[in-house]
Amino acid sequence: MPHCQPEQLALAALHEPLPADDAAHLGSCAECRAEVAGLQRAVGAVAVPEFAEPGPPVAPPASVWAGIAAATGVQAAPGAHAHAAPAAEAPSAPVGATAPVDAGGQVLPLRRSRRPVLLIAAAAVTGAVVGAGAVALVQGDESLEPLTTVALEPLDGEPASGRAEVVVRPDGSRALEVDLDAPAVEDAYYEVWLIEPGIVEMVPLGVLRPGTQTLELPTGLDLAAYPIVDVSVEPLDGDPAHSGVSVARGQLES
Amino acid sequence: MTGLLDRAARLGSVGTVNSEPVPAPSGAAEPDDAEVGRRFAAGDEQALALAYERWAGQLHGMAVRAFGPGPDAEDVTQQTFISAWTGRARYRPEQGPLPAWLVGVCRHKIADAWARRDRMRREAEAAVSEAQATPAGGTTPPVDSVVTDRMLVLEELERLGQPQRGIIELAFFADLTHAQISERTGIPLGTVKSHIRRTLERLRTRLEVDGAALPA
Repeated sequence: MPHCQPEQLALAALHEPLPADDAAHLGSCAECRAEVAGLQRAVGAVAVPEFAEPGPPVAPPASVWAGIAAATGVQAAPGAHAHAAPAAEAPSAPVGATAPVDAGGQVLPLRRSRRPVLLIAAAAVTGAVVGAGAVALVQGDESLEPLTTVALEPLDGEPASGRAEVVVRPDGSRALEVDLDAPAVEDAYYEVWLIEPGIVEMVPLGVLRPGTQTLELPTGLDLAAYPIVDVSVEPLDGDPAHSGVSVARGQLES
Repeated sequence: MTGLLDRAARLGSVGTVNSEPVPAPSGAAEPDDAEVGRRFAAGDEQALALAYERWAGQLHGMAVRAFGPGPDAEDVTQQTFISAWTGRARYRPEQGPLPAWLVGVCRHKIADAWARRDRMRREAEAAVSEAQATPAGGTTPPVDSVVTDRMLVLEELERLGQPQRGIIELAFFADLTHAQISERTGIPLGTVKSHIRRTLERLRTRLEVDGAALPA
């Protein structure tokens, strides 16, 4: 018989059963089978169970909304029944079946660190570096009193290095002066973080460019609790979390 | 033109989650789903809260199905709403209901998370091979082509107009046959078939142009 109609081959790519004569032809025609395989690439990519719908609902914990509100600045709040009860870790509780909770009671950081594994691996690499660059009381700008200076050492042979200095202004406010020596990156940017020794909690300080810049340190932030100065490469993907890709790092001595 | 609008609404309901639309009596506090969609698109903050109240459970259910309960799934749900809100200009109420659009955003976030995991896996493997200093080392492990394909296909789906998008989503995600799609949407069988064919061709072209080359 002649080749299958193009429409029939598209249905075959979607795994629909074909009429007997089409099916028989397909079994014996390499050309038609190749056509099906070509059309099937897209089907295989997205017709996966994770994307199927609808599924059973699972109430997210209240921290999910707290993060959305923090990121969007939206003041309105959903009804309490939208959240899972904090105590109920069982995620299978459907919406509405959980006890009402106070929606505003629990404000967690926007995101918890999801990538401790890679960061820990990177931290092990830098172990030898810690201390090497920490030289306290190096005089910089004479109007400012540098508390501590730390060398930022490249990680994994990355072409990035530099220096970070904690300075205290006359009014008591603190800032981190960063001198970054690194190539420009495309479709990405550098970001500097203060990270606690357990490599789980972290404070983003802002966007860096190669060169020297001053970044504000949050008032009241305990630098001894977040001694690791970390420079990451962040893709322009709108994802506010640490990318897990660190290029330079040092540790503040307290 | 109401027929077209009805059709778009039905198609858009591909991703509709099991909410019970609340009828909006005059002056009532609870707007119906369509009203929430319009207000969301217009930037009404209360609409974000209402959308969360009505559909976060379904979206989180998807995320949990992909990643299991825990921080990864919570992250996907959170990012879905943040992205949807900041990108609300891309939501067009006349193209379909808001929950269907949110489900599409959620699929993107799941695909993004898979891509990040793939990237980290490759980096970890590259680091290991570098550390072992094998003569053949130093080559970055290849990108998982399915991960890339998935993101390209989702992106291309977003560019489709109706009814093409609704039809192919019913085929991909609701696992309906073309006959069931025709029945569900009221679009003639032959039209459904030719839309499916053209859309799959379009996706194939996108993958051939932008996707990773498949091994010959």
